[in-house]
Amino acid sequence: MVNVIDYVPGTTLLHKLNPVAKLALAAAIILSTFLAQSYAMLIGLLALTLALGAYAGVVDRLLKLLRLLIPIALIMLVLQTAFMREGETLFAFVTDTGLITGSKACLRLLGVALPLVLMLMVTKLNDLANACVEKLHVPYRYAFTFTTALRFVPVFSQEMNAIIEAQTARGVEYDTKNPVKKLKLMLPLCAPLLISSVGKTDATALAAEQRGFYLRTRKSSYKRYPFAACDIAVLVFCVALIAAGAVL
Amino acid sequence: MNPIIDIEDVSFSYRETHVPALNHISLAIGEGDFLGIIGPSGAGKSTLAACLSGAIPHHFGGTLYGAVHVADEDTCEVTLTDISRIVGSVLQDIDTQMVASVVEDELLFGLENFGVPHDEIERRLADALQTVGIADLRDREIATLSGGQKQKVAIAAIMALQPRVLVLDEPTAALDPASSLLVFDTLAKINREQNVTVVVIEQKVALLSTFCNRVVVLDNGKIALEGTPHEVFSHAEELQRIGVDSPRVARISNSLAHKKVCSQASPCLTVDEAEALIKHAVGNASHDTKRFAAPSPHAPRPATAQEPVVAFEHVDFAYPLGGAAVHDLTLKVRPGELIGLVGQNGAGKTTFTKLLTGLLKPDAGSVHVAGANTKTTPTSVIARSCATLFQNPDRQICRETVEDEIAFGLELHGTESTRAHEKARKVARRFGLPLDEAPFSLSRGQRQMVALASVLVVEPRVIVLDEPTSGLDYRECMTVMETVKQMAEAGCAVIMVCHDMEVISDFAERIAVMADGRILASGPSRELFAQPELMHAASIEPPQVIELARRLSQSVSPAFEGVGEVSDIVRITEEMVHCG
Repeated sequence: MVNVIDYVPGTTLLHKLNPVAKLALAAAIILSTFLAQSYAMLIGLLALTLALGAYAGVVDRLLKLLRLLIPIALIMLVLQTAFMREGETLFAFVTDTGLITGSKACLRLLGVALPLVLMLMVTKLNDLANACVEKLHVPYRYAFTFTTALRFVPVFSQEMNAIIEAQTARGVEYDTKNPVKKLKLMLPLCAPLLISSVGKTDATALAAEQRGFYLRTRKSSYKRYPFAACDIAVLVFCVALIAAGAVL
Repeated sequence: MNPIIDIEDVSFSYRETHVPALNHISLAIGEGDFLGIIGPSGAGKSTLAACLSGAIPHHFGGTLYGAVHVADEDTCEVTLTDISRIVGSVLQDIDTQMVASVVEDELLFGLENFGVPHDEIERRLADALQTVGIADLRDREIATLSGGQKQKVAIAAIMALQPRVLVLDEPTAALDPASSLLVFDTLAKINREQNVTVVVIEQKVALLSTFCNRVVVLDNGKIALEGTPHEVFSHAEELQRIGVDSPRVARISNSLAHKKVCSQASPCLTVDEAEALIKHAVGNASHDTKRFAAPSPHAPRPATAQEPVVAFEHVDFAYPLGGAAVHDLTLKVRPGELIGLVGQNGAGKTTFTKLLTGLLKPDAGSVHVAGANTKTTPTSVIARSCATLFQNPDRQICRETVEDEIAFGLELHGTESTRAHEKARKVARRFGLPLDEAPFSLSRGQRQMVALASVLVVEPRVIVLDEPTSGLDYRECMTVMETVKQMAEAGCAVIMVCHDMEVISDFAERIAVMADGRILASGPSRELFAQPELMHAASIEPPQVIELARRLSQSVSPAFEGVGEVSDIVRITEEMVHCG
């Protein structure tokens, strides 16, 4: 099963960057997107994310995610234009100010969602956790919790699929076309899913402890994550990006 | 020499008021032992494993009496981390054990934590991968591995820590026979070459009896039998009472010994041993086959002229994202037939069942179930005539009480609620299930029975069973299979996917052998099982009795040809010895 946040192997510079630098880059793009006011900057940032994705060879997956996000963005646009009553009316209930703020909000939504996903696609979770522990002094138990949670996403979605298949084979109408009905049918499945996930989590905790989890320190990691020249360059670029976002 | 693990009069109960899960157990495990633990479900096997690995008392709460010493340290007095330096354990559910997404990182995790010097890590990592035989998987994503490969990664991750004891809880439960054998081969190698003590909980008696040097049988939290496999499996009656399977060849030699046909006291554990035994017993007796009545043929029920209820016609299917595709599947199943689908993991068996239930639609060809074309009929409608029992009952169960759960299927198919509940109560009573309990509070075996009951109650025309016996002990397995057999006799078509060839040969009169997404052959089970080339092509180990009969028919007497039951082999041997 293919998951959006699965690691995509590669040898590009983006893959080789220090995980902390990648995290900083994603954070800088997001922060800059929040600060930016002009269309040019917002579209530019979105283009930058997609260009980075294209460079790392994951652009097809990013576009797939974008297709999922665009309907949500459009709903936001409609709501924004409906509630924004300032400015001159263009047609029906739509005002020009409403259209401008709404469209910018859409661009922001897309610009905020993609960079983090891009970062996760080009970084192994273990590298991310270890680098954060080493460089950012994040306590290992938090890093471990975070990576385990991400790792469990596909495990649980597989479990959910298996449960839905089992229920469909019993005659529950999950193959209905009506989304409201489908959602109603899915709610009772939360119990089996929850029960199996609590069991799994407990087993994971035991397994981790039996492999010396509590002995782990900041120095344990076999792999080291030193900052190289290009990482420094990326960090400088991050600062520039945020500054540009604040100004433009 | 002191035992590496010494259990002294240990009792444990998960709750004060509950029946103890372990009841005055004393057991010494010597360094270098290969110990197998077997017993019916609820006998305390996993609890015992948890005591060995220190998970009791450190992870699971409860009341513990007695003492467990691991390398002369009382497990209550040292931390779980310190115990795990000596005892490495592999859990039942492999997915939960994994902490990384890449094989290499998975092995690194433990090595880093235990502070192995960094200049030593590379060697330890490479050695562990080499020992388990997965050096080529080092850079693979764990999510892309097969079940058998994952199991080996889990073992390698523990072996890298160089424990002195390895505890495994049902390591082969989800594996096909070929991968199970490979896992045990690996364990035997570790045991032999590195003198690591191996303790393994296992339901597959044939594997236990071949690989272990000691076997412990647990029953109701007590040790019922203990000794070498030969000693343990000579207690046939005792084992049957407890509800533990014994290798079929052991049953043959035990009943031969019982009838004084041969004098050997210790039972046979392999086909080779049984062949030698019978050859010796028959000796120079006359081999005039005409004097012996032909073996009772496995009476097939008169072939019904009825229309097939399931029909696959040249079905092709491929997953859009790649993965096991199937080609040109053609198979017909008539009402009242019980057909077994056998083959390795990845042969396409699950895809076949999903095509049948309509969860997948064929790319080419057609699938008809009870007259409906699956391509044009929604899955939820097909479900009215075709019920599935899944491998994992927990995915099927979604109601709050057993009664609601069993009635649920009926209600979905439009039966009126009071009538549905009435039927549900009747079925539940037949299986002895508690009506008002929450299904999730029942044991694994009982949950499987609840799932089975909710399949039966809808009175389907076709039943699909996906590994109906995995995770069940021998007695539960027989209850499930007897019920299924009754359903077939009542006119229901049963299609069963199962890795246990003994169960298949006991219950299925026809099998379809699958490999690489194709049906290699379908026909009477005994005939197909007796074709060594076919079995080899599908990587299937034929049932012991059929293999034995095939060999005896060549080396001793053609009278054994086509025999498939323990009693027939015993009877023919007996007649030969007495007449000869």
